[in-house]
Amino acid sequence: MKKEIFILLIKRIFSSVLVLFLLISFLFFLLRLSPGDPSLKYFSPDLSPQLAAKIRESFNLDKSLINQYSSFLLNLTRGNFGISFTYRIPVFSVIMDFLPFTLLFSITSFIIQLVLGFFLASLSIKKINGKLDKAISQISLIIYAAPTFVIGVLLVLIFSSSLNILPSSGLSSFENNSYPLIPKLMDNLSHLIMPLITLSLGGTAVFYKYLRDNFENVYNRTFITYLRSYGIPEKNIYKQNVIPNAINPLISIAGVELGILFSGALITEVIFGLPGMGRLTINAILSRDYPLIIGTTFVSGVLVIITNLVADILKVKLDKRLIKGLLN
Amino acid sequence: MQILKKINFFGYIVFILLIVILQSCSNNFNKHPNAIIIGISSDIESTNPLFSYTVNEGDISELLYMSLIQYKWDEKSGELIDEPMLAKDWSWNSDSSSVTLDLRNDVYWSDGVQFTAEDVVFSFDLYSDPIVQSSRYGTFKTFEADTTLHIDINRTFEVESPFKLRINFKKNIPPDLIDLTVPLIPKHIFQNIDRKNLITIEKQIKPVTDGPFYLAEWQKNQAIILKSNERSFLHKPSGAKEIIFKVVPDYLSRITQLREGEIDLTEDIKTEDLKQLSGKKYLQLMPIKGREYDYLAWNNIDPESYKKDNKIVPNKIFGDEKVREALTYAINRNEILHEFLKDQGELAVGPIAPIFKNAIDTLLKPLQFNPKKAAKILADEGWQDINKTGVLEKNGMKFSFSLFIPSGNPLREFAATIIKNDLKEIGVDVKIETLEPQVFFERMFKHEFDAWMAGWSVAIPLDMKSYWYSDLKKTPMNFSCYQNKNADKIIMKIDSEKNKNIKNHLYKELEQIIYKDNPVTFLYWINNNVMYNKRIKDIKISPLGAVYHAWNWTLNN
Amino acid sequence: MKYKLKNWYLLIGICLFIIVIKFEIILNTYSLIFIVFELLIKNYKIAVLHLDMPLIDMFASSMLIVIMPAIAFYLRRKLKILDTKISITSILLLILLIFFIFAPLISNANPDFQKNLNETHLLPPFSSVEVVHLKTKQIVGNNIQSKFFALKSKIIKNSFDENIILADSMHFGNEADIFEKDGKLALPKDTIANSFGKPVISRMFYLLGTDEFGRDIFSRLVFGARVSLFVGFGSVLISLSLGLILGFLSGYLGGFVDLILSRIVDMFLSFPAIFFVILILAFFGNSLLSVIVVLGFSGWMSLFKIVRSEVILIKCKDYFITAKMVGLKPNNLLIREILPNILSPIIVNLVFQFGAVILAEAALSYLGLGIGNLYPSWGAMINSGQNYLNQAWWMILSPGLCLILTIYTANDLGRKLNLYFNPRLNNG
Repeated sequence: MKKEIFILLIKRIFSSVLVLFLLISFLFFLLRLSPGDPSLKYFSPDLSPQLAAKIRESFNLDKSLINQYSSFLLNLTRGNFGISFTYRIPVFSVIMDFLPFTLLFSITSFIIQLVLGFFLASLSIKKINGKLDKAISQISLIIYAAPTFVIGVLLVLIFSSSLNILPSSGLSSFENNSYPLIPKLMDNLSHLIMPLITLSLGGTAVFYKYLRDNFENVYNRTFITYLRSYGIPEKNIYKQNVIPNAINPLISIAGVELGILFSGALITEVIFGLPGMGRLTINAILSRDYPLIIGTTFVSGVLVIITNLVADILKVKLDKRLIKGLLN
Repeated sequence: MQILKKINFFGYIVFILLIVILQSCSNNFNKHPNAIIIGISSDIESTNPLFSYTVNEGDISELLYMSLIQYKWDEKSGELIDEPMLAKDWSWNSDSSSVTLDLRNDVYWSDGVQFTAEDVVFSFDLYSDPIVQSSRYGTFKTFEADTTLHIDINRTFEVESPFKLRINFKKNIPPDLIDLTVPLIPKHIFQNIDRKNLITIEKQIKPVTDGPFYLAEWQKNQAIILKSNERSFLHKPSGAKEIIFKVVPDYLSRITQLREGEIDLTEDIKTEDLKQLSGKKYLQLMPIKGREYDYLAWNNIDPESYKKDNKIVPNKIFGDEKVREALTYAINRNEILHEFLKDQGELAVGPIAPIFKNAIDTLLKPLQFNPKKAAKILADEGWQDINKTGVLEKNGMKFSFSLFIPSGNPLREFAATIIKNDLKEIGVDVKIETLEPQVFFERMFKHEFDAWMAGWSVAIPLDMKSYWYSDLKKTPMNFSCYQNKNADKIIMKIDSEKNKNIKNHLYKELEQIIYKDNPVTFLYWINNNVMYNKRIKDIKISPLGAVYHAWNWTLNN
Repeated sequence: MKYKLKNWYLLIGICLFIIVIKFEIILNTYSLIFIVFELLIKNYKIAVLHLDMPLIDMFASSMLIVIMPAIAFYLRRKLKILDTKISITSILLLILLIFFIFAPLISNANPDFQKNLNETHLLPPFSSVEVVHLKTKQIVGNNIQSKFFALKSKIIKNSFDENIILADSMHFGNEADIFEKDGKLALPKDTIANSFGKPVISRMFYLLGTDEFGRDIFSRLVFGARVSLFVGFGSVLISLSLGLILGFLSGYLGGFVDLILSRIVDMFLSFPAIFFVILILAFFGNSLLSVIVVLGFSGWMSLFKIVRSEVILIKCKDYFITAKMVGLKPNNLLIREILPNILSPIIVNLVFQFGAVILAEAALSYLGLGIGNLYPSWGAMINSGQNYLNQAWWMILSPGLCLILTIYTANDLGRKLNLYFNPRLNNG
């Protein structure tokens, strides 16, 4: 078993490296061939046009495409993604400023989604097709259909613009550092409540839907009836049989969801002005920060691949028959 | 039972929420009696004046580093006045080809080293070195420089003593101290650093400053906290102890925080919010007028033949100045100004802002909205709707074009919609095309559009050559490719004229020519609406910026 | 209940309702169609010149509004969809489709119409303004051409109208005083159009209010439905063809082609599609067409996977090998053997994709990278409404609701189709 997982790992890593290489090469050429000029932001009445020319030169943009690509690859072998045009420090240092927040934020949201989804689903199956079940199902469908930005804007409208009880943007107050611990955490929490709600609602609806349907499926299976007929308490059946069986199929969906969350909750970050990977990527795209675009894409690619891999390994742990399918 | 437990769990969440809400309610109103908090929309990249490319970076580096002389804006004449700073006094030689400066001998860098003339020479060397890519590279117009625009240090600067410095200017130019307003940096910190890598490692160097404020803390994406430097000769005991630049990316939160007293000053307030904010007694509106304008540009030359072999051929539609005049008549600029800008601005007549009181020709009045006249001019020029499609034609060519605008600017999107409908009324078919700004500006620089809308801010002091001189190779910012031999002559005269009165007269002459030619349709000067809390006293907001000479501000709680 | 309310009742009902309300316009359109025919014979050039998109659009919807109920009635027993009981999904779907097809008939103004900005901008729902009609130059002559122009101007709603003034109220004394929000306008009486000695005044009604340009939000919503559905159909079609062709190639040829294509799919799946979409749109410009193409290109991967695995599965089956030995060509094989097998998962996938694409288009418009401002779009409406959050909540409410309902409908339809194709799922 260990050996098979090991082979799986090796195989996955090999193909992942290939995919990542393809990805960044594709991006490299796409970026260089596209219109737009990274030195344009240096055109202003207070700066000289000569400066823009110098900056182009220092970005190597005056060299031929092949030349640029070869030096890019050379740097890559040393693990160097180059220097961000905007921040003027190595790309990875920039990403390190943004990644911790994204990881924390997305994992929190992920946990909220799972817990809330599970909680609602377990409420729902108390009485399948009962009033509560139907109500939650309908609401979850509507929430799932509601675009993130509609939810976010409405929350800002209600809680910030009208009632003014929650801050509408940012991560913390800047006085935050001088606070004692509890008010400090409260400050952070008050900034993050709306973003977390905005980001988590859609995912909660997804998890709820899957879990509820899975619960229903498991309850309808014959072995549950057998167990009941043996007189095993309902609580035990629920804990030992229903939950594991219902959660198994969820793992790969959860993996994909987490992977997407890691690359940044773009819209949420834009609405609430949060310093996450999504906004970093968009700003890099809009300001034509080529090295940073490639860097962020690479990092989010790696995160997606890792989460998928972890999800697969988890699945194998729970159901050993799956390994064959994954190996091929 | 289980449900009850879960309700319990929800109860906890509600409880926590309540605490948070109460907490944030009690949070407000200023806990910083000695600080001025300025709301800015994005974090800066550097506090170093070498790399201050943006307005906020410039504001902050100006508080941290001093320059030889400082500028003051004279409201009455609309001109700049030189005032002493690090240079106590200066004297011109007889033919005004050089100036001798007396430097202050009581200025120390924050690490205790004294400021001397060596710092001045080194700073100019570094600023103009192409390898450094400083924000001032290429802007020094009064010094001798080599082909890479690197200042000829040996010929320009003569250090007579540590506090006496002689500066020789280029030959045959009007005397001007403009280049001496650059913030200076400490030589002893920067001299040992490899200039090539300076731009990438500059953030790792601890700032050593001499200004009225010093950098106390820089919380990334949160705030830049400056504290007052009591040793500085600019220090005011009644002034603010701290100036905090608070990063609030979201516009709505910036406004809310201004209203709640969490920030004291912010710029670029949208006109629709002015009404609710001006209801607050403790807030003061102070628009900065006449720095920015929007214009509707008509490419004066044919973009295709320019692209093909750099040939200057008049544009098929907009090459005719009569047509451009008609288009200006056809656009209801007042409606946009009134409806969107709520009259926070004024109609533009030409490229010279009304704030330049001595240079502007007040006799020229903006063309009034008059679609009938526009239609008549166009008809006289041969544009007629013969086949009744609602679109004018001339020699088989339809009067229809694409109007390009950069995305993300609500005013321009608003104006474009109005303009499109205005022009449709006189039989001109306009298609609005929104482009992402980077793509838009790249194509604009290449003169690829026929018509577009953009904005520009005027440089202080005035600069006409970069924008209106015919030779497109030398003036990359003559976007609309304006071609006029007479204008060229006047522009060249302005640049070499030493007498101020004659110079102002020349500006007026140029304005009249541009007024007649309508190379672009100047739309309106847009106010930058700055609002501040009245606890800030002695604040002077001039065209030079909102946060200008902030060390003069005092606090009154 | 004895009588079930069925979908075809609803369809016919709505169509008849529109016909009754817009009776005059429809009648005028018919007479215009005759005139156009006459003009085509008499003066071919002019007729072709003036036969523009809005006119053809109007002709088509006026014809369809009558034909559609007839067809629905004829097919009511044959098409199962029409004969089933109505549900929320079917109501929404029908309304959307009717918005899509009959946009020019339903809307009461051109989506770009604006006039007298300070009078009309940011009006709340259910408000209205007075319309004063000015005297127009009579189109002289009674020939066919002038008839055409007269009738056309009655039917086609332009984005401007120099012959009206919008106002709060008015008073007719010696002069016509027209009161607007910020002042009074005094006009000589003879400039105002008369009918039987009385000035011609009508009202303009804004069901859902107006936006910052004084444009009718209801009309923009109706035309926005067109854009959303058009983007949805267009990009789903692109995804479909890409997924089908590449998936088939990959599965059928195997080997090197399969390896490369699968890696490319992995590559696209390894980072969120929205970044790819934004990158392309930001770099190569955004327009209706580019949004459709890019969204189409970003959504073919799941289809590819479905098709590829299905093809590989069938390739190994006996009947396929037999069919090949008989001498059937690959494309025949695709149509005859594989397509029926993969049809149901593909249709379900496409419907979900459809919802996702509409959502993506709105999100892009919200970020300012949508279809541009040539056409109204729900996402763009929400985006611009955000600037007026404190003053005009209705600017984001109605497009937001439309968006939620549309995506809800698409998802629900997908779910229902899934149950229909895989009845096993239904009973667990």
